[in-house]
Amino acid sequence: MSDNREFIEEFLVESSENLDQLDKDLLALEADPADQQRLASVFRTVHTIKGNSGFFGFSKLGALAHSGEHLLGRLRDGRLTLDDRIAGTLYSMVDAVRSILGSIESTGTEGDKDYRDLARTLAAAAAETDTLAPVPPPSVVAPPPAEPVVEAAVAAAAPVRPEVSVVPPPPAAAEPLVPSATGSPRAGAASGGTAPATLAATESTVRVDVDLLASILDLVGELVLARNQLRSIDSDDPAVQAVAQRINTVTSALQETAVKTRMQPVEHVFNRFPRTVRDLAVSCGKEVQLVIEGADTELDRTLIESIRDPLTHLIRNAVDHGIEPPDVRVTRGKSRAGRLALRAFNESGRVTIEVSDDGGGIAFEVVREKAVARGLVSAAEAATMPAERVLQFIFEPGFSTAAAVTSVSGRGVGMDVVRTNIEAIGGTIDIRSTPGLGTTVRVHVPLTLAIMPALVVRCGSERFAIPQSAVGELVPLKADRTGPRVEGLAEAPVMRVRGRLVPIVYLDQFLGIRTTTACREEGTVVLARVDDRELGIVVDGMQSASGRLRRGEFVDAASLSTIVIKPIGSLLSGLGLYSGATVLGDGGVVLILDLRGLLRAANIPPMIRESQAAPEATADSAERYLVCGTASGRRVAVPLGEVVRLEQHRRDAIESAGGRRVVRRGDLFTTLCDADELVGGHATSQPATLNVVVLGDHRGGVGITVGSIVDVLAAESRLHPVDTHGVAGILSLGGMATELLDLDAAAPVEAAAP
Amino acid sequence: MNAPSRTSDVMSASSVIRSCTFRVGADCFAVPADVVIEVLRGSGALARVPLAPEAILGLLHLRGRIVPILDPAVRVGVKRPTADTAATYLVVALDDDWYGLAIDEMLDVVEVPVDRIEEPRSPSTEGAAVTGVFAAPDRLVHLLDPQRMIQSPVRPRPQTPERLGVPHGRQ
Repeated sequence: MSDNREFIEEFLVESSENLDQLDKDLLALEADPADQQRLASVFRTVHTIKGNSGFFGFSKLGALAHSGEHLLGRLRDGRLTLDDRIAGTLYSMVDAVRSILGSIESTGTEGDKDYRDLARTLAAAAAETDTLAPVPPPSVVAPPPAEPVVEAAVAAAAPVRPEVSVVPPPPAAAEPLVPSATGSPRAGAASGGTAPATLAATESTVRVDVDLLASILDLVGELVLARNQLRSIDSDDPAVQAVAQRINTVTSALQETAVKTRMQPVEHVFNRFPRTVRDLAVSCGKEVQLVIEGADTELDRTLIESIRDPLTHLIRNAVDHGIEPPDVRVTRGKSRAGRLALRAFNESGRVTIEVSDDGGGIAFEVVREKAVARGLVSAAEAATMPAERVLQFIFEPGFSTAAAVTSVSGRGVGMDVVRTNIEAIGGTIDIRSTPGLGTTVRVHVPLTLAIMPALVVRCGSERFAIPQSAVGELVPLKADRTGPRVEGLAEAPVMRVRGRLVPIVYLDQFLGIRTTTACREEGTVVLARVDDRELGIVVDGMQSASGRLRRGEFVDAASLSTIVIKPIGSLLSGLGLYSGATVLGDGGVVLILDLRGLLRAANIPPMIRESQAAPEATADSAERYLVCGTASGRRVAVPLGEVVRLEQHRRDAIESAGGRRVVRRGDLFTTLCDADELVGGHATSQPATLNVVVLGDHRGGVGITVGSIVDVLAAESRLHPVDTHGVAGILSLGGMATELLDLDAAAPVEAAAP
Repeated sequence: MNAPSRTSDVMSASSVIRSCTFRVGADCFAVPADVVIEVLRGSGALARVPLAPEAILGLLHLRGRIVPILDPAVRVGVKRPTADTAATYLVVALDDDWYGLAIDEMLDVVEVPVDRIEEPRSPSTEGAAVTGVFAAPDRLVHLLDPQRMIQSPVRPRPQTPERLGVPHGRQ
């Protein structure tokens, strides 16, 4: 059999494409059982599989295909009409064939499953010729009201968009998928009689090894580099200039073409979905009409596979949780069949894939309650949270709003995995929902993984690339300290951006590039977002296309470079700081920063620290204080100089040790002391998350828990001493009397444990 | 003429090993000739890799690949003035990755009968890159296992488990 391996592999690839087409054709047939052309196509496909399996000696496969072919023959001859039951049997056959093919691919044998029952069912269905009189198609399509049915997009969907393309697929798109379908049904597999159109399609495509394409792309990359070097050579010879110009043009065109060889239409993923939706709808007892648009939108082939699972999940969610059962829909004044739309389109250099349903939408209130119950947010905060923010909780691990766990979905794993997988390929995901009207999830993915836009930043003598997808905005720092600046919480510098406190990493210091931190005064902060975490990276500036250092607030074409990502080998990827390297136009090798790794290595806690802060208004001369609200609502302050950092912890992360409450951060423990208790009061509420103001080491690493962080303000009055335990005095901060905490009282009585 | 690709385990099966010999500092080393891609001279400055282990001198671009350049002196504990001045790189292929060894001088390609290769002298070098020693006409040559050269010179960093790729368990 090993001699045949090459042929068998070809057979497998071809058959898997044929099976996808079979799924599609069967769906279309369910909608229109009278479509003779499609019936013939299904018949041909099954016949081809049968013929090939006979050729390679796969007897199980052959027997199964034979039974299927027999049933299809009856259908084609008009002696049977396709109904739900027959369609179901045929789908089972397709699944069985797929599973046998899978087994052949992995083990080389057909596997030891027994398909004889299925073959008998197929035969039985074919034998029922007489019990079922030929019924006019329409009455068969319209099912009994109680029975679930899926209609692939048919006429009803047409007004929505002109490009509706699940069924019937444009002939041009359908043809290449059945490259070797033989013409005459009665003829052997290898016989001639192939339709001319099919022949043309077969001859215009060639199967090429993916590795070969990759090496072509590599070589083109080399050529581009050589071209760039050629451009930098000054020559007065017009002949040389002309040749250089020509090479320049051809190289650019070649690069573009080579990149295109990596692209595949999303159809390859979308193809399976009509079938998925049908099966889901049947098992959920729903009626769903799937509309697919833009299946010809192209994406890098490596990305195509990466979006399959996330999209399948979104579709499951939409059918299982989104779209209501038919009866409910009718009482809500909607059509019985829910509409599920899958759209793909190009948008600003990325591909957007939208999964939208016209179902019940997401109940904000349920999400809100659940978020509070799970301790993700305090009840008070949740109450004031806008709907869009509330929806974000859906992406939290283990968050599910489904009332019932069904076999399809609702086990509370899902959206977080979807988001993680999408973000792993440099994509983003957002969700919008209108209660009662439906939900739309949009997935934005880059066109390709191998090539991406990136910001090339400079730091000392080094350059680094930061993926553009992660970059939010650029904030230039000014030497005269007007404008935004990094605020000094000694150990954990932060920057205030529209009310948020963003942790800051000085790239030069962090990577040990230099010890003098020149960029602290005049650098640029690259605000990046990874997962739900934000990070500001201080660099000297960006490198423009012309190679100059530039500073600016906008991520524009001039500051972005299109880079080809190259692996750096296991030796360096183990560092976890660089996701690859690239070669710039000037020939220089530049490392691509792995922001997730950077966040990890910089030990930035995975919480977004927020202050409900008003815009700052402070003079530098006066001493500055961190103003906080205690859980019971008292306004207290801590000298900013004493504060090392701000942390947020869930209540359940707090441990008890030796009568003290402590929280762990890496190997270190911070002893906690509640601000209310410090000033002799009692905490009145138990918020789910605690804001912790961590004091310097000479205070023994004590953290003061407060209800909220208000702002950093300068004192407007002198300190008025008062005689309250735990209070050093009263200050006017932000126009309000504020108690200054006596930090000596906060320190543990015994010397702090090491 | 089929030289084995791994020196240590296949040694006994073959009678002769073809090796590229080179000089690092005052010492001579050799790697099996069949892993050598090419010898680069004067290929320009390396791109530094901040926070990389000491043995990694930087990155070089070679025919579409990014090639990490290693300092064999660091790896095998040989002293030499500065590796940066070594502008000759011996590029070797290990599996699909290419690595460059910064060497001071390329010497001959020699064929060494296996029975002439002795155990490395210092027994303390367990797991070290030097797997054998043989005498060339005018010098002593240390045989390097390139696979071991690249093994774990990277300090492990704490990593949180990846959440990626977890399929939603259902069907």
